[in-house]
Amino acid sequence: MDFSLGVEQKLIQKSVREFFTKECPKDKVRELKETKSGFDSKMWKKLVKLGYLGLIFPEEYGGTEGEFLDLMIFMEELGRNITPCPFFTTVALCGIPIVKFGTDEQKKAILPKIIEKGHIWTLAQTEKKANNYSNEIELTADLSGDNYVLNGTKLFVPFANSAKQILVVARTQKGKDANHGITLFMVDAKTKGINIEVIPTAAKDCRCEIVFKDVKVPKENILGTKDKGWEIVDYIFQQASVLKAAEMSGGCQAVFDIIVNYTKERKQFNRSIASFQAIQHRLVDFMGRIEGLKFLVRKAACEISTGNSSARLNSMAKASANKIYHDLCYHSIVLHGAIGWTEEMDIGLYHLRTRSLLFDMGDVHFHKEKIADELQFHSPAFKEVYS
Amino acid sequence: MDFQFGEKEEQFRLEIREFVKENLPKGFIGNMFEEEHTDENWAFAMSIAQKLAKKKWLTISWPKEYGGMGASTWQKVVFAQEAGYWGIPGIGMGVSGTAWVGPSLMLFGTKEQQEKYIPLIAAGDPDGVWCTGYSEPDSGSDLASLQTTAKRVGDNYIINGQKVWTSCAHKARYIWLACRTQQNTEKKHQGLSLIIVDMKSKGLTLNPLKNFMGGHVFNELFFDDVKVPVENLVGVENNGWSQLMTALSFERGLALSAGGACVRILDELVEYAKETDRIDDPFVRQSLADLAIDIETLQILSFESAWKEDQKKIVIYEPSRDKALCDQLLEKVSRVGSDILGVYSQMDIMNKDPRWSKLKGSVEHVYYYCIGLAIAAGTTDTQRNIIANFGLQLPRSY
Ligand SMILES: Cc1cc2nc3c(=O)[nH]c(=O)nc-3n(C[C@H](O)[C@H](O)[C@H](O)COP(=O)(O)OP(=O)(O)OC[C@H]3O[C@@H](n4cnc5c(N)ncnc54)[C@H](O)[C@@H]3O)c2cc1C
Repeated sequence: MDFSLGVEQKLIQKSVREFFTKECPKDKVRELKETKSGFDSKMWKKLVKLGYLGLIFPEEYGGTEGEFLDLMIFMEELGRNITPCPFFTTVALCGIPIVKFGTDEQKKAILPKIIEKGHIWTLAQTEKKANNYSNEIELTADLSGDNYVLNGTKLFVPFANSAKQILVVARTQKGKDANHGITLFMVDAKTKGINIEVIPTAAKDCRCEIVFKDVKVPKENILGTKDKGWEIVDYIFQQASVLKAAEMSGGCQAVFDIIVNYTKERKQFNRSIASFQAIQHRLVDFMGRIEGLKFLVRKAACEISTGNSSARLNSMAKASANKIYHDLCYHSIVLHGAIGWTEEMDIGLYHLRTRSLLFDMGDVHFHKEKIADELQFHSPAFKEVYS
Repeated sequence: MDFQFGEKEEQFRLEIREFVKENLPKGFIGNMFEEEHTDENWAFAMSIAQKLAKKKWLTISWPKEYGGMGASTWQKVVFAQEAGYWGIPGIGMGVSGTAWVGPSLMLFGTKEQQEKYIPLIAAGDPDGVWCTGYSEPDSGSDLASLQTTAKRVGDNYIINGQKVWTSCAHKARYIWLACRTQQNTEKKHQGLSLIIVDMKSKGLTLNPLKNFMGGHVFNELFFDDVKVPVENLVGVENNGWSQLMTALSFERGLALSAGGACVRILDELVEYAKETDRIDDPFVRQSLADLAIDIETLQILSFESAWKEDQKKIVIYEPSRDKALCDQLLEKVSRVGSDILGVYSQMDIMNKDPRWSKLKGSVEHVYYYCIGLAIAAGTTDTQRNIIANFGLQLPRSY
C-alpha cells in the first residue's frame, strides 16, 4: 500500500496548478461566465500546446500515453481552480471511448486533431427523462441508404456550442430491453439540421439543447457496434464518474482552504472566529470527509490505472463527491457571514457549479443504486468460511 | 499510489480465516465489550487468547524479543481488520495488556517489570489481564485534573482516591493506574505518575457498575490506603503525563478493527435483506449503499494512518480523525441495521434468543454499544478538539 503520489503525478499536479493559477485566475472565471463560448480559447490553445489533451492517449496517435492516474490528478487541479473549459467533455467523455472502441481509421482521423489541434468534442446523451438510464434514449437514428437520419432532442450537453464534433447516443432499435438498440454516432456539429441553443444555467457553463431534425450521418460514423452502444456509455460512465469526482474533490479541497483561512483571519468578540468550537467542529468534520473523498477517488482511479476498474468504487467516488460538495459549499458560505454571499468572494463561484456537478455522471441515488447492485451480487467472506 | 495489500498479507488473511474456521463456532459474530459480561463469555475469550498466544498473534505488534510476532505494519492492519470482521475474542488481555501496557513497559519499564509482567500478557495468562485506571468522577475529558494520590512512605506508595468507568477491572489481575505523586504543581499535567497495582491489594474495593442494558463492562474502584511497593512505579516519578500520552497513542488501530466489524455487519445485512426480499426495497438499497460508502471511506483513512506510521511520518491528528469518523459510522451502522431489521431491532441484547434475535443480535448490540464507544477513549467531541488544534492549527476553544 502506498498513499503517496508518484513522481509523474507530483509533476503534473505542480505544473497544472501553476498553469491554471496563472492562466485562469478567479476574475477570469467570473468574466468567462459572461462570454458566449464560456471558456478562454487562448488558454485552450496553450493547454493543447503543452500536450495536456494527449495526456493519456496512445503515442501512435500523438499522445503521451500517461496513466489514468495522471488524468485524475489533472482533473483534481481543474476542479480546484474551477477552470471552465471543454477538457472533460473532449477527453473523458469522447476521447477515452474512441481510443477503446474506435477503429484504427477512426482513431487516426480523430485523435491527432484533438491532441494537436484542440478539436472540441462533447457527448450528447441526456434527454428529457434525464435519468442516466438507457430508457431515456429516445432520439432516433434510422438507416436510409448510406446514411442514418437522426431526429430528436438532447439536453444539457456541455460546450455543444463550441464543439466541432458531437458523440450522439441514439436509438437504432426499440425493444423490450432498453439497453439494446442504442448506437453511438460521431456527428459533425455543423451538419445541416442541427440546432444548438445555450440553456440559462446558474454557472453559465454552456449547457446546451441540441435539436436534431433529419440530420444525416454517414454510417461509417458509428462508434463501436450498432445496437450495442450502451456498453460504451457504461464504459464512459465508469471512468468519467471517477474523473468528475476528482474534479469535485479538488473543488472541495479549494473551498476548504478558503474557509479555514477565512475563519482564522476574521475576528469577532476580540478573537478569531476559528476559536469558536461550533465552527471548529464543523470544519473538523469536513476535513475528515474531504480527506476520505480524496483517497476514495484516488483509490478508484488507481484501480482503473492498473486495469482493475471497480464499478463499486467508481460509483462510491462519485456518490461521495456529491454528498460532500453541496454541504461544504453551503456551510462554508454561512461560516463567512454576509461577505460570503457576495459576488466578490470566490466561494460563490464554487457553489454556482454544485448542481451541475452533482448531476454530471449520475446523482447520488443513481450511484447508490449501482453500489447496491454490486453488494447484492457479491459473495461475503463469512459465507465462504462458514459454509 | 497503490491501495492493495501485498500477496504476503493476503496469504496471512487466509491463515487467520483458517484459524477462525477451526476455533470459533460456526457463524460466530463477536461483539465489542461483550466478553467481560459473563463468566462463560470470559472463559471462552481466554481460551482463544491462549490459542492466539501460541501463534504469537495475541502480541502481533510486539517485537520478537518480548514474545511478539514482530509483524509488519500491513500484517497488523490485516489482523486488526480480520479480528473485527470475525469478532475474534480475547485479543485485548483486558483493557489493554496487549495494546498499551506491554508496549509502554518495553519503553519505560524496569528490567524486573518487563520480566514479571510481559510474558504473562504474551502467554494469554489470566494474570496477564489488565485494566486501565485513568478516569475519575471529576476527571473525564479533562484527564490531567485527576486527583487520586500516591504518597511515598518509605519503600511504598500509599494510594488514596477513586477511579471510575474502569473496564474489565472485575477480570483483571493488575491495574495500570494514573495518579498524582506531587501536589500543588504549577500545571495540572505535572506531578502525575503511572503505577502498577495488584487488584488483590488490601484496601482496594471494586463496585460493579451495570450499563442501562444490563451489561457489566465497567466498575468503580476505591483506593483506601492501598500500599504498593515503589518498584511498581513505571518510568520516572512525576513524568507520568508524557508517558501517558505515549500509552494513549498506542490506543490507535481501533478504527481498523471497527472497520472490519462494520464490513461484517454490512455483509450480514445484505444477506438478510436478500433472504427476506427487502433487498428489492429502494430505501433499503440506498441505505445499504450509503453505509458501504462510509465504511469504505473509514477503512481507507485508517489505512492512510497506518501508512503514515509505517513511513515514520509524524501522525498527529489522524487517529483522532479516524476515531471521530468511526464513532459516527458505528452509529450509522446501527441505524441502518435497525431500519432493516424493523420490528426485530427491539430485542433484548442480554437474552439473545435465536428465535427472535436476527443476525445473532449483533445489530442491537451495536445500537447500544456504539454510544459507549463514542464516549470511551475520549468522546467524539474531544477528538474534534484535538483535530482542530493539531490538525488545523486552530486556537484552543476552551
Ligand atoms: C464503555 C466505556 C468504557 C470505558 N473504559 C474506561 C477505562 O477502562 N478506563 C478509564 O479510565 N476510563 C474508561 N472510560 C471512561 C472514558 O474515558 C470517559 O468517559 C471519557 O473520557 C469522558 O469522560 P466523562 O465520562 O467524565 O465525560 P465528561 O468529560 O464529563 O464529558 C461530558 C460531555 O461533555 C463534553 N465535553 C467535555 N469537555 C469538552 C470540551 N472541552 N469541549 C467540548 N465538549 C466537551 C464531552 O464530549 C461529553 O459529551 C470508559 C467509558 C466508557 C463509556
